[in-house]
Amino acid sequence: MHHNPIEIYNLSYAYPDGTQALNGVTVSIRAAERVALVGANGSGKSTLLMHFNGLITPQVGQVIAGELPVETKYLKQIRDFVGLVFQNPDDQLFMPTVWEDVTFGPLNQGVTGQALTHRAIHAMRSVGLDPDAYGSRSANGLSGGEKKRVAIAGVLAMQPQVLVLDEPSAQLDPRSRRQLIELLDTLPLTQLIATHDLDLALELCDRTIVLSKGRIVFDGATERVMSDPELLDQHALEPPLSYSRPYCQVEDAQKQV
Amino acid sequence: MILLHIGALHLADAEEQKTPWHRLTPRSRVLCALLLVFAIALTPNGRWWTWAIYGSAIAFIILASRVRLSVLLKRVAVEFVFIGVVILGTLFRGGGQVLFQWGWIQITTEGLTILGSVALKAFLSLLILNTLVLTTSIPALLHALAALRMPPLLVAILSSMYRYISVLEDEFHSMQKAARSRNLLRNPKRQRIIIGNMFGSLFIRTYERGERVHQAMLARGYQGLPPLAEVPKGGRRDILALTFTVAVLLFGQALYLFHAP
Repeated sequence: MHHNPIEIYNLSYAYPDGTQALNGVTVSIRAAERVALVGANGSGKSTLLMHFNGLITPQVGQVIAGELPVETKYLKQIRDFVGLVFQNPDDQLFMPTVWEDVTFGPLNQGVTGQALTHRAIHAMRSVGLDPDAYGSRSANGLSGGEKKRVAIAGVLAMQPQVLVLDEPSAQLDPRSRRQLIELLDTLPLTQLIATHDLDLALELCDRTIVLSKGRIVFDGATERVMSDPELLDQHALEPPLSYSRPYCQVEDAQKQV
Repeated sequence: MILLHIGALHLADAEEQKTPWHRLTPRSRVLCALLLVFAIALTPNGRWWTWAIYGSAIAFIILASRVRLSVLLKRVAVEFVFIGVVILGTLFRGGGQVLFQWGWIQITTEGLTILGSVALKAFLSLLILNTLVLTTSIPALLHALAALRMPPLLVAILSSMYRYISVLEDEFHSMQKAARSRNLLRNPKRQRIIIGNMFGSLFIRTYERGERVHQAMLARGYQGLPPLAEVPKGGRRDILALTFTVAVLLFGQALYLFHAP
């Protein structure tokens, strides 16, 4: 285990059409930390996430995952080290059956036979899916919450040390969202969660990074940023429900009495 | 051919039964079916007795696999319409005796023989392929193709077609619903234009989705070739079935080789 599994120095990225997606981002993620990455649409979250896994190699600056810089020659090791869960499970579940999808990553790593079966079963159990019941099913027939679980299992089966999730709670109903939060809470990995769901960020992450127009405008304790409505508003965000209505809280009610 | 079948996804759930045909490994089933199709297609036109023998072999397989005849025939009928349109042109070939003439259109014995032969070939091939697809699940079929040394990239393309066709169908239906909720049905001409546009945007979305799916594959260590899991080995039963198929094929061909009419 590394002390700082992900280090980013002065990272900038511009898309071919000239849009500056990231502008001088410097971040260090510590081991076993759970970090929320929040920001408005188009603030550069997804672009930043793709750097972690080497889907985009840095134009300016440097990204280090584990001990290796994100460069074309280390891509294989980096992708074994950092697992990326995509926002839309339909993009990620491309194999005909759930079992084949969960084993896709390990097979690419060269795991076969008994070890492969073991890994896939372990990954599916840890997201709460019964391998016998779900293994042979097609991804088409699953519900949104089940698809999300399979997508996470497919990444967990690769046994990464860092788990990066893009909008994990999008399109989930309250119960599936709750189950997801509980699931992420039990996973002992370094986690980076890009989300608009600030309630989820508040529940899961001690540390929050706010991105705005490709720059980091806040990096610190989640509770501090959530209780700063002006900062959030400035960057097109809103405090989570539990903070936005102080009159709902018991201690405030007592003050008024 | 598989694409056509996928259109009817609700029918594509292979019925898992315990029949002699189902006990063969998917690989042997695919091999038997493909051998038959090739033999049927490569037999020269007009060799009716050869096809009669192949047809009875296919009938035997259909009986042994206990597929529901109504389902099988319905699918063959739908597919035959497509093929029928394509092969209709062969009817008007020149050569042989002229049976019917109207202006420059003429029907000759040669044309009739070719049309009959090609139609029969197509019908028999469709029967066996549909039986195969009705009895073997698509993932098993894809594995079988991979085990038969079909190029892995081709198998990967087929498998993502299978995976995404229903996603695209859903997307198209939701677009259609969105259009209908804004009163699309007012006039038929406009409706055609809108549906054309929908197909266009579906095409672009497909492209974008393809890009995202590829990224998701790369993120899990994909290096250009899909990974292969182990395949079940065939037993004595499979060897027997294949031998039987090859024997039938050779017998059918020998009929005209040694007893030339």
